[in-house]
Amino acid sequence: MAELAGQKAADILIPGICGFGLHLRLDGFRLIYTLIAVLMWSVSGVFSREYMAHYQKRVRYYVFFWITFLATAGVFLSEDLYTTFIFFEVMSFTSYVWVAFDEKKESLRAAETYLAVAVIGGMVMLMGLFVLYDLLGTLDMDQLPAAAAAAARQGYQARLYGAGALLLVGFGAKAGCFPLHIWLPKAHPVAPAPASALLSGILTKTGIFGIIVVSCRLFGADAAWGLLITGLGLITMFLGALLAVFSINLKRTLACSSVSQIGFILVGVGMCGMLASAGANPSMAARGAFLHMVNHSLFKLVLFLCAGAVFMNLHQLDLNQIRGFGRKKPLLAGCFLMGALGISGIPGWSGYVSKTLLHESIVEYRELIAEGAAGAAGAAKAEAVSAAAETISRLAGNPVLWTAAEWIFLITGGMTVSYMLKLFFAIFVERNEDAKRQAEFDAMSGRYMKGASGFVLAIPAGLILILGMLPDLTMNRLADLGQGFFLAGGMEHAVHYFGLANLKGGLISIGIGILLYLLVIRTWLMADKQYADRWPKKLDLEELIYRPILQVLLPGVFGAVFGLLDQYLISTLVTVFLAVSAVVCRSMDHLADGIILLARRTTHRQAKEPVHHAESDRLARWLGRRLDSLARLRIWRKDGEKAAGRASTASSSRIPGLVRLEEAVLRNGRLVEESFSFGLMLFCIGLCLTLGYLLLEFIRF
Amino acid sequence: MEGNMMLILPVLFPILMGIAVLAGKGFRRNRKALIGAVLAGLAGSGVLTGAALAGGGDWFRLWQLTEHTAVEFQIDGVSRLFAALTAAVWLLAGIYSVVYMTHEEDECRFFGFYLIVLGVLIALDFSANLITFYVCYEMMTLTSLPLVLHERTREAVMAGLKYLFYSVAGAFLALFGIFFLTTVCQDLTFTPGGILDPAAIAGKEGLFLAAVCCMVIGFGTKAGMFPLHGWLPTAHPVAPAPASAVLSGVITKSGVLALVRVVYYIAGPDLLRGTWVQSLWIVLTLLTVFMGSMLAYKEPVMKKRLAYSTVSQVSYVLFGLSLLEPTAFVGALSHVVFHSLVKNALFLTAGAIIFRTGWTRVSQMRGLGKVMPVTLGCYTLVSLTLVGIPPTSGFISKWYLAQGALASRTGAFSWIGPVILLISALLTAGYLLPLTIDGYFPGADFDEAKLQERSLLGKEPSLWMLVPILILTLGAVLLGCFPGPLLHGLETIAQSVL
Repeated sequence: MAELAGQKAADILIPGICGFGLHLRLDGFRLIYTLIAVLMWSVSGVFSREYMAHYQKRVRYYVFFWITFLATAGVFLSEDLYTTFIFFEVMSFTSYVWVAFDEKKESLRAAETYLAVAVIGGMVMLMGLFVLYDLLGTLDMDQLPAAAAAAARQGYQARLYGAGALLLVGFGAKAGCFPLHIWLPKAHPVAPAPASALLSGILTKTGIFGIIVVSCRLFGADAAWGLLITGLGLITMFLGALLAVFSINLKRTLACSSVSQIGFILVGVGMCGMLASAGANPSMAARGAFLHMVNHSLFKLVLFLCAGAVFMNLHQLDLNQIRGFGRKKPLLAGCFLMGALGISGIPGWSGYVSKTLLHESIVEYRELIAEGAAGAAGAAKAEAVSAAAETISRLAGNPVLWTAAEWIFLITGGMTVSYMLKLFFAIFVERNEDAKRQAEFDAMSGRYMKGASGFVLAIPAGLILILGMLPDLTMNRLADLGQGFFLAGGMEHAVHYFGLANLKGGLISIGIGILLYLLVIRTWLMADKQYADRWPKKLDLEELIYRPILQVLLPGVFGAVFGLLDQYLISTLVTVFLAVSAVVCRSMDHLADGIILLARRTTHRQAKEPVHHAESDRLARWLGRRLDSLARLRIWRKDGEKAAGRASTASSSRIPGLVRLEEAVLRNGRLVEESFSFGLMLFCIGLCLTLGYLLLEFIRF
Repeated sequence: MEGNMMLILPVLFPILMGIAVLAGKGFRRNRKALIGAVLAGLAGSGVLTGAALAGGGDWFRLWQLTEHTAVEFQIDGVSRLFAALTAAVWLLAGIYSVVYMTHEEDECRFFGFYLIVLGVLIALDFSANLITFYVCYEMMTLTSLPLVLHERTREAVMAGLKYLFYSVAGAFLALFGIFFLTTVCQDLTFTPGGILDPAAIAGKEGLFLAAVCCMVIGFGTKAGMFPLHGWLPTAHPVAPAPASAVLSGVITKSGVLALVRVVYYIAGPDLLRGTWVQSLWIVLTLLTVFMGSMLAYKEPVMKKRLAYSTVSQVSYVLFGLSLLEPTAFVGALSHVVFHSLVKNALFLTAGAIIFRTGWTRVSQMRGLGKVMPVTLGCYTLVSLTLVGIPPTSGFISKWYLAQGALASRTGAFSWIGPVILLISALLTAGYLLPLTIDGYFPGADFDEAKLQERSLLGKEPSLWMLVPILILTLGAVLLGCFPGPLLHGLETIAQSVL
């Protein structure tokens, strides 16, 4: 792809590292961004010497400062996403040290957020890489477009979208794209100012770098993807600017402004896809996005270092406290002004050029669809596929939507003007409420910053002016070098930056900005002549949603479930098994005895006492009486009348003996009868079981 | 006895040294002699293992039990990997114990069994058939038991018993499988790709799968796989630090070795692919991966947290094995090495912290960076390795595991697997990194006076303890930067079995 812009590229392959080897390349875009990285690190490195002079643990700071530099340069030089990921992760972890550096409570909390976003983002991105590599078989950026097109043809479009979305989450988290921007407004204010400048100015750009790769190389001319990126960009830019307007902390305002400017760049990247999908050359959007990246790096370097100059003198960032500090400090005021004018998009400063290009790209697309080019393409698509695709093409082809987008763009530009006005007036124009404090501030004029720091601060400030004043000579050439990375061709016609049509957009923004400043910031956002923080404290995406879910809800639910599994599963199984098997074995043990017992309790109850059967001794008595009378007769015959009385005594009677005999016979008979019936019963049970078994066997076969 | 005698030497030497240490009266009185003997034993078996691995003849029969069963040893790629790893890690943890064990009682018993287990493990790694393997496996359980209940507190004894019961239960489950296998084939020699031919088990597929399932769950016990993982978080924390290190780092891997042998060298991956056993196995490993991380995340006691982490990480390996796919296989075996280095370093660090400060809970360790910055630095690096941050080694294994999962034809598991691995990695960051953060960034309000009072500032552990940790850390990081030779070797093994 390097040939597109007609450049030479140097490829470096280091095989064997981390399995797949590293693949680096030095071409237009990468060259510029590596140079910017060098510039930014040198400037903030020199500035750090003064800023960090009073801190302990400077060694720790510098070690991680330079490791992060190497890793960041590695990201911008990487030629395959595997290499990108390796350097990206190293960069995320080493830059953590910056955020946590001063170890204050809010710093540690912000660092926690930063780390959480970095780790989660990294993991999601890794998942994206897994899927992408599995799908395409390559992560080499040069081969991605062809491989992605092939995959899409083979019907893997959905998986490609999935991989793209995962990568977008990973890179977007670093870039500060909504809704993963949460770390930016927290981490930037607490880090040392030179580190904030780098975090905001260039580390976020590594995320953009990745998003460009994904958007331009995987979804080059995909309207759905372009819509997604543009939409996210618009939300991010507006939300960031809104937060910045409300913020009353210098560095926080700048951090929110970063979010907003990242939104501008994302809109450019998204428009790149939209223009390509409409069959046009996306070069306008690509150049705008790239130049805005470069510009934003410079702006944030200047602005954060100015904030650092304020902080290293006052150790405060609240606008009400530092109000008036910048008076009578022309160098600081001048540098800040360059940054402010640049970022606000004032004609003559570099931000105007890139914003104009971005604005023009929206206008160009709207005109294209008005002509019907995109509409026709969309209609063709809608015929082919589903309702979702139809919705997308309807959205992409709706001129009203794009007019709205243009206006969001212009209004956000206006908000940028208004919050920069707020900062500039508060620090450099207004006097502090406290006259004594103002006098202290004025007394600092000569010695608030060392010469070296001032000098390096002036370099990027001067660059902003030079780039802005001579766009055709400088910025166009930069853009020529950079656009190849977006796979965009050269411009068909030169843009007249200072022509009336282009000036109009800038002027509308400035007008909106001044109105906003006068009508909202000076009135509603001021109380008792102080800047008031009117943003509802509770309205914080992180505190409201992310932290509760990640810290309380998920560990609570899963921890409880798995804790139960872990603690009780085996022991419960063992207990239940023991209990059940004990019962079963005991019952098997008692099976025979139990049946006997049951029988004895029910059908074969044992008599407790001898039972007198009234009728059963009748025979014995009758027989006894007969025998007795027989006996009496015999005695009477032998002895005569005398013995007759004695013979009738009970002892000689045969009746009791016979009764006993009869009872014994009956009892024995009953026992025989009972045992027999018991045997029959057992036999019956056995028979039933046998029958049941046979039945079962019968059913089975 | 026939074959190459070199194979039996690294097995017998440490065992004999261990018995000597246990039996010799002189060692109890003379610590220097004891340490000398132990180090000589470790170094000697290291050298002998190296010689056996390098030497040509790679087969040895100790004795013939019956016509078809013999106690045999053999060296192949897998034994090379495990034996080299075991010998190296054992030596490092042994060097560490020289100083660490001074604050424990009855060193002779510890070192004696420490040496014996080494011999048994080498025998396990060299085993040539399932019968030999099973014998060594049971021996390993029994001889490592004294390491667990070394402290002889009530807690330690109960933990030891739990370890014993779980291990025995697992081994018996596996034994059932072995019994089944002996009915379908008589010779259970490990052969790449499996020894069973589908004809032998025709008509008995259901029983075959049930037997394999029993073996997977049974041998999975040692590897800490759900549902029989319960012994790990109980047994590891109570053992002395070097013992928990090798328990976690090496002995759990013998469960992995068992599964590699059973699945890839006996049953054969082709017979298992796509069966319910594979699905069940994948589900169990993924469940374990997530459960271990989640419970580690919630665990306040450091060593216990690390034990749960082991539960989770060893199941990364098992997940890779369960996919029956070459790339995942490479990822799994490389993770065996990486996790072994990392977990040893982590447990040794935890031991060093206990040794120096007596802190056991993570919440006590705020400001640790002021006490032992170098040790904590090692901890941080190996933690990042375990999370899988490039360019450290954990990233490599995760990459291979995930690619293998995506390439395997296992339906939804092919993407659920990587997702769970990454969620678990996230939790791993969540339970390991807070110690680093609180250690190096204790907060501006941190009171150094308390450390000063106990004269703890800048008190790194002695070199005997620090050097093994440094070597393990270096290994974990450098293997990530230059994994080429290792991966190449593993790919060769993978090609032979799949």
